Amino acid sequence: MTDKTILSVDNLALSYGSNPILKGVSMHLRRGEVVSLLGPSGSGKTTLLRAVAGLEQPHAGSVTIAGRTIYDGAGGIDIPAEKRDLGLVFQSYALWPHKTVFDNVAYPLKLRKVGQGEIAERVQAALKNLGLGHLAERYPHQLSGGQQQRVSIARALVYNPPVILLDEPLSNLDAKMREEARAWLRNLIVEMQLSALVVTHDQSEAMAMSDRILLLNGGVIEQQGSPQEMYSQPQTYFVADFMGSNNILKGRIVEIRDGEACVEVDGQLRLWGRRRSDAAIGQEVKAVLRVEQLRLADGPGEHRVAIDLATSMFLGDRFEYVFHAGDTLLRAWGSRPEAAGQRWLEFPPEAVWVF
Amino acid sequence: MTFPFQPARRRLGFLIAATCVGLAAGSLPAHAQSTADLAAAAAKEGKLVIYGVTDNEQANHLIREFRVQYPAVQVEYSNMSTTELYNRFISESAAGASADVTWSSAMDLQVKLVNDGYAQPHKSAETAKLPEWANWKNEAFGTTYEPIGIVYNKRLVPAADVPQSHADFIRLLTTQADKYKGKVTTYDPEKSGVGFMLVTQDKQVNGAGFADLLKAFGGVSVRVQGATGTMMERIASGENLIGYNLNAAYALTRAQKDPSIGIVLPKDYTLVLSRVMFIAKGARHPNAAKLWLDFVLSKKGQEIIASKADLYAIRPDVEGDTTASGLRKQLGDALRPVPIGTGLLTYLDQAKRLDFLKQWNAAVKAK
Amino acid sequence: MLQTLPRRAVVALLALSVFFPLGLVLWQSVLSGPFFMPSAQLSLESFVFIFEDPDFWMATRNTLIIAVGMSVIAIPLGAVLAFIMVRTDLPGRRWLETPILIPIFVSPVVLGFGYVVSLGPVGFFSVWFEALFGHVPWNIYSLAAIVVIAGLTHVPHVYLYSSSALRNLGSDVEEAARLSGASPFRVARDVSIPMVSPALLYVGVLVFFLGFEIFGLPLILGDPEGHLVLTTYLYKLTNKLGTPSYHLMAAVATCIIAVTFPLVLLQRALLKSAQRFVAMKGKSARQRPLALGPWKWVALAVIALWLLLTIVVPVSGVALRSVVSSWGAGINLLEVLTLDHFRAVFEEDVMIRSILNSILIGTFGGALAVGGYLLVGLATHRKPDGLSRLVDYIVLTPRAVPGLMAGLAVFWVFLFVPFLAPLRSTLFSVWFAYAVVWLAYGMRLIQSALMQVGPELEEAGRLVGASRARVSLDITVPLIRNGLLGAWLLVFMIFEREYSTGVYLLSPGTEVIGAQIVSLWASGAVDVVAALSLINMLLVGTGLALALRFGVKLHD
Repeated sequence: MTDKTILSVDNLALSYGSNPILKGVSMHLRRGEVVSLLGPSGSGKTTLLRAVAGLEQPHAGSVTIAGRTIYDGAGGIDIPAEKRDLGLVFQSYALWPHKTVFDNVAYPLKLRKVGQGEIAERVQAALKNLGLGHLAERYPHQLSGGQQQRVSIARALVYNPPVILLDEPLSNLDAKMREEARAWLRNLIVEMQLSALVVTHDQSEAMAMSDRILLLNGGVIEQQGSPQEMYSQPQTYFVADFMGSNNILKGRIVEIRDGEACVEVDGQLRLWGRRRSDAAIGQEVKAVLRVEQLRLADGPGEHRVAIDLATSMFLGDRFEYVFHAGDTLLRAWGSRPEAAGQRWLEFPPEAVWVF
Repeated sequence: MTFPFQPARRRLGFLIAATCVGLAAGSLPAHAQSTADLAAAAAKEGKLVIYGVTDNEQANHLIREFRVQYPAVQVEYSNMSTTELYNRFISESAAGASADVTWSSAMDLQVKLVNDGYAQPHKSAETAKLPEWANWKNEAFGTTYEPIGIVYNKRLVPAADVPQSHADFIRLLTTQADKYKGKVTTYDPEKSGVGFMLVTQDKQVNGAGFADLLKAFGGVSVRVQGATGTMMERIASGENLIGYNLNAAYALTRAQKDPSIGIVLPKDYTLVLSRVMFIAKGARHPNAAKLWLDFVLSKKGQEIIASKADLYAIRPDVEGDTTASGLRKQLGDALRPVPIGTGLLTYLDQAKRLDFLKQWNAAVKAK
Repeated sequence: MLQTLPRRAVVALLALSVFFPLGLVLWQSVLSGPFFMPSAQLSLESFVFIFEDPDFWMATRNTLIIAVGMSVIAIPLGAVLAFIMVRTDLPGRRWLETPILIPIFVSPVVLGFGYVVSLGPVGFFSVWFEALFGHVPWNIYSLAAIVVIAGLTHVPHVYLYSSSALRNLGSDVEEAARLSGASPFRVARDVSIPMVSPALLYVGVLVFFLGFEIFGLPLILGDPEGHLVLTTYLYKLTNKLGTPSYHLMAAVATCIIAVTFPLVLLQRALLKSAQRFVAMKGKSARQRPLALGPWKWVALAVIALWLLLTIVVPVSGVALRSVVSSWGAGINLLEVLTLDHFRAVFEEDVMIRSILNSILIGTFGGALAVGGYLLVGLATHRKPDGLSRLVDYIVLTPRAVPGLMAGLAVFWVFLFVPFLAPLRSTLFSVWFAYAVVWLAYGMRLIQSALMQVGPELEEAGRLVGASRARVSLDITVPLIRNGLLGAWLLVFMIFEREYSTGVYLLSPGTEVIGAQIVSLWASGAVDVVAALSLINMLLVGTGLALALRFGVKLHD
C-alpha cells in the first residue's frame, strides 16, 4: 500500500445468514488505476463491490477511501451509502424512468445543493463528454441500451467521485457493441484519469480493460496481478482454467524429472509439462495447455504425438482444429484448412502446466 | 295444551262438519271436494310449494304435522321477506308458474295480488270458520291474529314510565324527550311493507292523535329499522329503550328467553295483523294447496299456530292466551284487526303512498 | 392458446354471459314497469322519479363523501403500510403479512354487524370504554364513522397494489439514488413513491370506485340514522313504492354504472401506463431494509391499532354475540352465555343447506369458475388481436355493475331464458352470477399465472408438432398448476365472502350464507345472523389457512 492508494479493503467478511459470501478479502486500488474483480458467479465479486458501495452489510474488516474509513467492523464505523461519495454504474443502469436524462444526471448535484446554473453547466458538459448532448430531454425508455449505459456513467461521474464502481458494465450490450464499448470505456477511464473498480465475469473483458485483475473464487482472492501475469503465470488450476481457452487432459504422473512431470493420458498419450503442484508419481493430475500453444507439426519429433484430426472450423481470422485423443477432445489453431486424418501435434513442455 | 291425535275420528269429524256447514250455508260449489277426495288428489300431485315470510322454525311446526297427516305430499317451504315474496311471485308468474300458496304478513301486498287476479277461490268447512273480516272473496284468508304492541327494556325503563295507551306513549315521549332522545325505535315505513301498513292504519284509527305521534317521534329523533327482530335486538341491549308497533307475538317469544323484554298491548286500541294466505291461480299443485290451506285453518292447525309457532290463532273456537278469544277477554273492544279487503289498497297508490311518506319524513326528521 | 373455432365460441359465450344481463338492466331502466309486465312501456319516467327524489341526491352526496373520504384515508395509510412492510426492518413483518390482508376476505356485512355489537351505543367495547372514561366519544351510526370504517377496511386493497409495485421496483434504482447521495427518506420521496405512483393512482381509482359500490357497511351502519348510499337506496327502492320498482332500481344501477364504467376504463388506461414503467424496471438484488430505529415501535403500534380496529374489534363482537342471548348495558355476559344460536342453525334444514351450499360454491364452484377463467385466458393468451382486446373490455365490464343488481339481472336471465329456467332454483344460477361478478378478479389471477410461462416453452411445443390446443393442455396448463391452485383458493375465499350478489337469487336450493345473512338481517333474526357470521368467518379462515399451507401468495 502506498500513498497513491485511494481505496483499500482489509480482511472484509460478509455472510448471508450462516452462508459466508466473503471470507476475508483484502485489496487496494491506486489512484488512476483500473482493477477488475473477476470470477465465476457466486464467487463474491459483486458482493464485494456492493459492500464497498455500502449496499451490503459486512460483519468484519474495514474499507477506506482516500484516507477516510467508511467501514470498520471492529470500530463500529459504517457510513451509509449516500455519504460515501462513490459513483456506481449498475449492471441494469438503474436509470429513473420518471426523470429525463438531464434530471437523472442532475440529481446527484441537486442533492449536493449545487446552484441551478452550475448544475446545468456541469450536466451539459458531462453529457457532451459522453456524446449525449442532444438527448438531455429524452426519457430513459426512449434511449438505446448503449445510450442508457452512457447516461448511467454520466450520472456516476458528474460529481467527481474519487472512485467509480462499475458492476458488469458491458453485460447488457450485445456482443458486437460490447467490444466497441470496451475500448470506449477503457479510453474514457484513462483519459479522465479515473480510479475504477470493475466487476466482470468475462476474462477477456477484464484483461482488456484493467491494469490489475483480482480473481475471486468462493469468497477469497485466488490470485491477483497484471493481466499478463494472470494469463501466463497461473498459480492454481482454477486460475489456469478460468483465464483463456484451454485443452485439459486428465491423467496420471508416471515420471518426475527436475521441475517437470510426465503425464500419461488414457494409457497411451504421454506428455511432459511444468510441475505446478506437489503431486507425486501415480497421482491423478490435470495437464492444462492453452489452445494457442498446441501446434500442428509437420512430422514426428520430440514432444510430438500423432492424433486423429476430426474436423477443422473456420473462425474468420484463423482455423480451429478438433482432434480425438481417446475420449478427450483437443483443440488447436492454425492458419489454413486441414483435411481429416492423422496429424502430428506438438506439446511444448514449457507451455504445459501440470496441476 | 295438547290435543290427542286421532286421525280417523278427526277426519270423520271434518266430513260431518263440512257437510253440515255446506248444507247450512247452501253455497258450496258443485265441485266442492271432501277432505278425503282432496287428500287423494293432493297425494297424486305429491308436492306443495309455499312462499312465506314466517320463519322456518315456526312454519316447520305446521309443516311437520301436515306431513304426518298427509305423508304423500312433499312440502317445499321458502322463507323470504314480504317484498321479495311479492317480487318473486309476480316475476315467476310472468315466466310461467310460481308457488302454489303464498303466506305473508304484508296484508296489502297480498290483497293487491288477489285483486290483480293472481288467486283462485277456495271454500271449505274450515274457511267458513273464519271471522268475516278475515275472508275476502273466498280468495284471501287471514290465518293468524297478531296484536301489535309497545315493547320496552324492563331493566332500563322504570315501571312508572311504561305507557299503557297510545296517549301515554305520546305523553312519555313529549314530557321526557331528553331521556328518550335517540332511544325510541319503530319500523321504517320506507323499508318495511308491514311497517308502512301499520302506521297508515294508525293514521286511520288514531285520528287526531296521529299528528301528535309523528311530532313526538320527531322530538326524540326516532330510530327506524326494517324489522321487528332488529328493533328488539336494540331494545334488549339498551341501545334503544322503547319500540313502537312491534309484533307482540315475536316479542313474546323473545321475552320468554330474555328477561329484559317487556310488552304492552295499548288499552285504547291495539292493532291486529293477520297473515294472509291465498292459493295461486296458476298453482301446479292446486289440490295440495287447498289441503294445506284447510289444514292451517283447521282446529289442529290453529292450535299449533297458538301453542308452538308462537303466533296467535285466529279461529274463534280455539282457546288459550295466544288466541283471538284469549285476547278478547283481555282487551275487549280495544282490538282493531285490520280487515282484509280493498281498503288496504288505498296506500298502494303511488301518489298517495309517496305523499304519506313525505308527511312522515317531514315530521320525523324535523329535528 | 385455443384453435380458432373453440376460441370464438368461448368469447361468444363470455360476451353473452356479460352483456345479456347488463343489457336487461339498461333495458329495464327505460321502461315504465317491470319488463315482463305487458303494461310496461318505453319511458324515462324512472329517471324522472329518482332525479326528483331527494333521497337519491342525499344518497349520491353520501356516496361521494364516502368514496372520497375512504380514498383519503385508505391511500396514504395503505401506501405507508406497504413501504414499511416492504422496505424497512420492522420486526415481525413476516407474521403481519397475513393479518393485514384479512379485511379483504371478511364480508362487510359481517364486519358492519360486528361493529354494531362492539362499538354501537351499548356495544361490548363501548360499555367498557364508558365504564373507564365516563363517556363514549364516537357514534358508530354517523356518516363519519362509516367513512372511517370504510377507509380502514380498504387499506389492504391499497397495500396489495402498492406493495407489489414496490416489490417489482428494482432495488437498483433506489440504490443508485443512495449512491448519488440521497438519504433513505429522500429516496422514498424522489424515487420510490414517484415510481409507484402509477400503481397508487390505479388503486386510488379502484378505492374510489369500490366506494361507489359499497353496500354491506351502510346497509347495517347507515340504517338507524338514515344515511343512504346509492346501493342501499337501490335496495330500499325494492319496497319504497310498496310494489316492485324494478325500473327505478335499474335506473339507479344505470346511474351507478355511468360513473363506474368510465372509472374502469380509466383504470385500464392507467394500468397500461404503469406497465411502461414496469418494463423499465431493473434487476432486483438483495436489498438492505431501511433501519427504522426507535420509529419501529411507533410503526408497530400504528399497525396494531389498525388491526385492532379493523379485525379484532368487529370479529370479537360477532364471536361474542353468537354465544350470548342478550347484551348491552347492565348485562352480565357470563349469565347469558348460550349455544342456542348454533343449535338453531344446525337444527334447521335451510341453514345447514346454506352452509353446505356455501362450501360447495366455494370449492366446486370456485374450481369451475377458475376453469372457465382459464378457458377465456387461453383463448386470448399471447394472441394480441382484436378478439383479445374485445375480451379485455368484456372482462372489465361486470366490475362496473353493483353485485346486488348483477344478481337481480341474473335472476331475470334464469327466469326468462327457457332452457335455463330449470336451473334457476339450483346452485348453478348463483354460481353463474358469482362467476360473472368476479370475472375481472379471476381473470387477473389467471393472466398473471399465464404470463409466467415463457413463450419459448409454448413455441417449442408447437415446433415439435403439437397443435395450439395440445400445447395448452400439455405445456401451458401443467406449468401454471400452482398458479391455478392459488387462484382456486383465492376465488374460494371471495365466493365465501360474497353477500350482495346472491340476495335476489335466494330460493330453496340456492341459499348461501352471505345472502342468507343479508336476508335474515332484514327480517331481524339477529341471533342466527351472529351464528352464521361466525360460521362464515370460519369458512373463510379455513380457506386462508389452506392458502398459507400451500404457500399461495395472497397477492402477485
